[in-house]
Amino acid sequence: MKQIQMTQNPSFSLISTNKIIQMNNVWTSYDSKNFALEGINLSISRGTNYAIVGQSGSGKSTLLKLMNGMMIPSKGTIKIDYVTPNINNKKFKKMMHTIGYIPQSLGLVKNITVLENILIGALPRLTKLQSLFKKFPESEIQEAKRIMSLVGLSGKEDRKAYMLSGGEKRRVAIARALMQKPTILLADEIVSELDHVTAREIMNLIADAQKRMNLTAIMVHHDMQLALEYANRVAVIKEGRKILEIGVEGDTIVDFQTGDLNTEEIMEMYSDDTKK
Amino acid sequence: MTPKNNIIIGIIIALVVVASYNVDANPLEFAKGLPNLAIVAEEMFLVEPKYIPTALWAMFETIQMAFIGTVVGTAIALPLSMLAARNLNSKYVYAPVRALLAAIRTFPSILWAILFVIMVGLGTFAGVLAIVMYTVGFVAKLQYEAIETIDSDPMDAVNSIGVSKWQLIRYVVIPESASHLLSQMLYMFDYNVRQTSILGLVGAGGIGFYIINYIKFFEYGKAAIFMLVVLVTVLFIDWASVKIRDKYIIKSQHGMKVITK
Ligand SMILES: Nc1ncnc2c1ncn2[C@@H]1O[C@H](COP(=O)(O)OP(=O)(O)OP(=O)(O)O)[C@@H](O)[C@H]1O
Ligand SMILES: [Mg+2]
Repeated sequence: MKQIQMTQNPSFSLISTNKIIQMNNVWTSYDSKNFALEGINLSISRGTNYAIVGQSGSGKSTLLKLMNGMMIPSKGTIKIDYVTPNINNKKFKKMMHTIGYIPQSLGLVKNITVLENILIGALPRLTKLQSLFKKFPESEIQEAKRIMSLVGLSGKEDRKAYMLSGGEKRRVAIARALMQKPTILLADEIVSELDHVTAREIMNLIADAQKRMNLTAIMVHHDMQLALEYANRVAVIKEGRKILEIGVEGDTIVDFQTGDLNTEEIMEMYSDDTKK
Repeated sequence: MTPKNNIIIGIIIALVVVASYNVDANPLEFAKGLPNLAIVAEEMFLVEPKYIPTALWAMFETIQMAFIGTVVGTAIALPLSMLAARNLNSKYVYAPVRALLAAIRTFPSILWAILFVIMVGLGTFAGVLAIVMYTVGFVAKLQYEAIETIDSDPMDAVNSIGVSKWQLIRYVVIPESASHLLSQMLYMFDYNVRQTSILGLVGAGGIGFYIINYIKFFEYGKAAIFMLVVLVTVLFIDWASVKIRDKYIIKSQHGMKVITK
């Protein structure tokens, strides 16, 4: 079990030149009445393995949708690599291919094959004619197959996506995101419904890819234990607010907001209500 | 049943009676006319069998017209449906396209046939053009509705990769709506065979052309033979399209096997 180290130095998180994601007092709403997020401040350094933990309905998925420009805040500012995320913003649209997004619902195209689903991640690199005739360059097909063996999908190339098990579908969505060669990976509860062994397998895989590609990973989890195990930073969201952010370095936990919690207390506070 | 329901049913029945009076729809006349059917049936048996090959050939021509009309009409409808889908376009694109399609649909195929007879003259080509127009109007509507019901999850997920509109259509919209399109084409072909059978009434070719001519010269028996051929053909197509749908379409949509006895 990790030990807490008292540090009350919140400025530590703010003084850094290499912030890939910045959120400033972000509010957002689906129905212009209730706010799903209320005044979120985040600042994430390049290469971080960032975890977001919180109860169901606390706003975790919404936070990720804001980061990839599929939603826009009603108040506050967001910068991804100094660009405001919004699908209608030309400059951001050009960098969307560098953001791998694995939605909670996975978003696979049911009636095409596993290989085609994964190759969708390579579409921004194709010419108009190549994509019209589904003529993927041999190098892209090889890359897709390499990623497939990495995530344990070898031999399932020609399976239609609707014929896969839940875990297999998840792997396809992960492979599609990796196929993008992303610099940022947004993953929404991709291991929550998997058994322990598979969950750890997938987490190791992403941790591995993260180190190799200097990826910034932002992963939503239900399970505080898993978050503490893999992340350098964990943010806890409750009812649309960030109520805690801790840094994890080896066996040390640095609490940026309160500075007076220990690991057991954190686990106790968030293990119950983070379970479904 | 509540009293309120009774009142509504009463009103509907009263309306039917009033409307029947207005349009001279008298059930007694219908009963009186029934024996006339016997005359037609009797005449049918007197018709020489040599007319049957002609009837079959006319039916074959009709089916070909419906086939061309369905395929060409669907090919034109497909791009229009992409433009009319609200989840793919801005209002400035889909609103005018929808208005155009609605205008096309207000004409029944027989009116299109009259228009094309005036344009290109009597004959089967006018009939084919009428079926094309009718098919465009309907398949485009059915198809844009199908596109709008595509699950938004894969659309959003693929959009968030930063793909172009064309890529989205090619890799999500078409695969996810293809089974609908196939089923609509089948339905449309089935329907077009029936429609084409009557376009002959206005001189636009097909088996209806024979039927109307025999009726004009009071040769009801011959007309009835031709109508019988239409009936049998339509029943057959109906049966075949159910089979095809079960075998290919339902299965591909839900990934399950349909149990057939
Ligand atoms: N499409 C939507 N329309 C309206 N309200 C929504 C929509 N999606 C989410 N919400 C609301 O926004 C709030 C935050 O939802 P969000 O999906 O971000 O929660 P979450 O933390 O991801 O929950 P879970 O762990 O269950 O996935 C919830 O109150 C939810 O009801
Ligand atoms: Mg969620």
